[in-house]
Amino acid sequence: MSKNIKLLIMLCIGGLGFGFFGCAPVTSTTSPIPGLGRSMQTGEDETSPAKQSPRVLASLQLTEQGRQFIESGDPDDAIRMLEQALNLDPANGQNYYYLSEAWLMKGNISQAVEFNRLAAIYLEDDDKWLYQVIQQRERIKRSSR
Amino acid sequence: MIKKERSIKVILKWLLKWLLPAALFMIISMLLYCWYLSIQIDERFSGRRWSVPSRVFSDITILYPGQKINSTLFHEKLHRLGYRDVGYEPQSKGELRTSTTSVELFLRDLNVPSRRREGIGVKIRFMRNLIESITNLNSGGPIPILELEPEEVMLFFGTDRERRRLVSIDQVPQHVINAVLAAEDSRFYQHRGLDPLGILRAVYTNLRHVSIRQGGSTITQQLAKNYFLTPERTFFRKFKELFMSLTIEAMYEKDEILEIYLNEIYMGQKASEAINGIGEASFFYFDKPVEELSLIEGATIACLIRGPNYYSPYADKKRCQKRRNLVLNAMYEKGWISEQDLEIALLSPVIAAGYESYGKKAPYLMDYLSYQLTRLYSPQDLSSLGLSIYTTLDTQVQMAAEKALKNGLVRLEKSNPALNRADPKKKLQGAVIVMQPKTGYILAMVGGRNYGMSQFNRITQARRQPGSAFKPFVYLSGLDEFTPASILSNEAKTYEVDGTVWEPQNYAPVPEEKVSVRNALAKSINLATVDLAMRIGFDRIAGTANLFGFSIPANPYPSLCLGAYEVIPLNLARAYCTFASDGLLPYPLSLKDVLDENGKILERRHMNIERVTSPSKAFIMSSMLRSVVEEGTASSLKNIGISFPVGGKTGTTNNFKDAWFVGYTPDILALVWVGFDDGSSIHASGAKAALPIWAEIINALPQYVSENWFKMPPGVVKRMVCFESGQLDVNNRCPRPVEEFFLADNVPTDYCTIHR
Repeated sequence: MSKNIKLLIMLCIGGLGFGFFGCAPVTSTTSPIPGLGRSMQTGEDETSPAKQSPRVLASLQLTEQGRQFIESGDPDDAIRMLEQALNLDPANGQNYYYLSEAWLMKGNISQAVEFNRLAAIYLEDDDKWLYQVIQQRERIKRSSR
Repeated sequence: MIKKERSIKVILKWLLKWLLPAALFMIISMLLYCWYLSIQIDERFSGRRWSVPSRVFSDITILYPGQKINSTLFHEKLHRLGYRDVGYEPQSKGELRTSTTSVELFLRDLNVPSRRREGIGVKIRFMRNLIESITNLNSGGPIPILELEPEEVMLFFGTDRERRRLVSIDQVPQHVINAVLAAEDSRFYQHRGLDPLGILRAVYTNLRHVSIRQGGSTITQQLAKNYFLTPERTFFRKFKELFMSLTIEAMYEKDEILEIYLNEIYMGQKASEAINGIGEASFFYFDKPVEELSLIEGATIACLIRGPNYYSPYADKKRCQKRRNLVLNAMYEKGWISEQDLEIALLSPVIAAGYESYGKKAPYLMDYLSYQLTRLYSPQDLSSLGLSIYTTLDTQVQMAAEKALKNGLVRLEKSNPALNRADPKKKLQGAVIVMQPKTGYILAMVGGRNYGMSQFNRITQARRQPGSAFKPFVYLSGLDEFTPASILSNEAKTYEVDGTVWEPQNYAPVPEEKVSVRNALAKSINLATVDLAMRIGFDRIAGTANLFGFSIPANPYPSLCLGAYEVIPLNLARAYCTFASDGLLPYPLSLKDVLDENGKILERRHMNIERVTSPSKAFIMSSMLRSVVEEGTASSLKNIGISFPVGGKTGTTNNFKDAWFVGYTPDILALVWVGFDDGSSIHASGAKAALPIWAEIINALPQYVSENWFKMPPGVVKRMVCFESGQLDVNNRCPRPVEEFFLADNVPTDYCTIHR
């Protein structure tokens, strides 16, 4: 086989291989800040918003605003919003989760630990959230070393 | 001819010898004097130009569809916020229209830390005491959550008691500037500080009308007079004003001079406070920022400058309108408004917004806050830097607490004339604090019956014995060994402690010789509490109490377990918050944010929690305190409108010197104390004196009542036990099995020995 043909074959194989791997699906990494849009509601089923009281729904509105502040790197505004959410619904486990996140951002480990602990209590019936709480606990431990 | 020439020469020589040097001397002196004045002016203008009092604001109010509401308190709040009922669909910020089933309002801009919102029109529909819906007035679209702006609660005035909101020249609409110029100095942009033409015109006008119709002072002269000089009318002062005006004009641009003038001018009086500057005036007269003033409103404000109190629309609307129309006509003559605009404006009535006289709201809480602020800023800074201070105060809660306390004390005095005192300073007193237990936010604080009579804050400064209101901390101390089902002795015993004999008694006869821990706390049985305390140890109780922020010394007296040690009511309320917040002691928060006059955050405080007990113990305590309300000393609550789960404890001290009730839900906690400052008996228990006040407060605040109870945390289990033995129920044998909560590591293992 002439050199040119061999080179052509190798280029084709290389090109195919590149195309194959280049088109491989991208695996997404889990963000530490779960959003309400990803069905991370408190451990009830998909019909739960209808069952949630107006007070709980209002609190979740504020929780979402708090989460957005955390995502934009503003823990102080997040804490302020989440405190309001907590005043409306003290049993909202997501508030505690995000408060823990905000205090972790501020470097206050003791407050982060306490809110994480509360999140574990109030989200114990929601496996998805509980998983996030455990992940958060690990991050807090790493930060405290 | 030669003689004539000689005399001219002599005159010229004389002039050269005397007049020219004199003139030169005068010019140099004037220049030196102007230079001297320029130093003063520069010093004054380059530093802080004005003292602007710092303002204290309440918290925002959150509204949402489905929320329970007290319509009376809500409408009062809208009134305090300055919303004006206009009788038509609101078009401008601050307008309101009410009907029996709805409120339409055009919200003002919201501009607080973490939240910014432009003012929009909204409609809030009510269905009885519930917000049925909140919709956008324009689009009709639903609004899931709405924040009402905070109320201004207090100002830190300096000695001059001036109110002022600074504005930049760019914020002032041109028609308002034109109105001011038309009223005071239409040739402002043409002259250099003095206006000889203006002076001549004023003299002519005044002579023509044989009265003082016009002044000849320019805006610059007025500024020099008001900003730098004393008010006396002397030749020297006028002379100084003249040179000062010329110097100011040489040093500063016209717009800058006008801006200073607009922020400086005296614009009226609000009771004891002076309204200064156009920024504050626009709010005082029209309840809107200067940017939103219409032509008519701008002309009205401009017309006041000559005599703010004389021409004030609050004094005489007709006189104000007449003066305003003069200004409008002057604007038309200068070509600054069209004939059509003039005709419309001349016919418009003067409509001012109205105002409430300044009165310090929540005065006890403001004093408590002031104490915190003066540790951060000097009084001088607070009265001059124009800081904005945001707090946790909820004015609806504050109003409800003040009213309930007043009603409660009057009710007690009427029911027992022995409680009446002629001296107002010695009258029956009370105090209330309302908090959100999870965050520690102080929603309301009433430190006494009448602030004007006594500024002593009985919530933060008084030290009183809590009586039985202290018992929960005793029971908490024993939760590792004792359970709610454990049996305590109710037998009268004589104790000897450090050589002293002590014979505690029950408040009321209790026939049972043995009672459960739950029952002992619910019915506040002293003998059973002492039995528990003796078995736990007083040092351990003191240790627990000190974790909660009390200051109990080592080796306490046994009477500690019956609440015979003094506490500060704020600390007691804070300690009870722990039971409602999963064992976390919150910091009692009143100050949230401090911003400078440019909106930069200087200070920020958040909720701060400290673990003092476990969530499981806190839950069990709340469960037991719920029994106090359902079956115990606070059971009368259900007869006065409280039908949802509440945990709480009454407290009554020896000789009825103090009456307490501390009650809470997951959403709200309130502490009420009643007593005399001099320790005289009030002849009433906590259940009789304090509890009804608590109920009245909570009944007035349906927005804070979710009717929820606490979630059972991990570490708590439920078991059926025998009511008599406190041991595990033997199926079908124990006549009164009850379900009880236990710590998971302190569960009874023995079955009932009485009925086995």
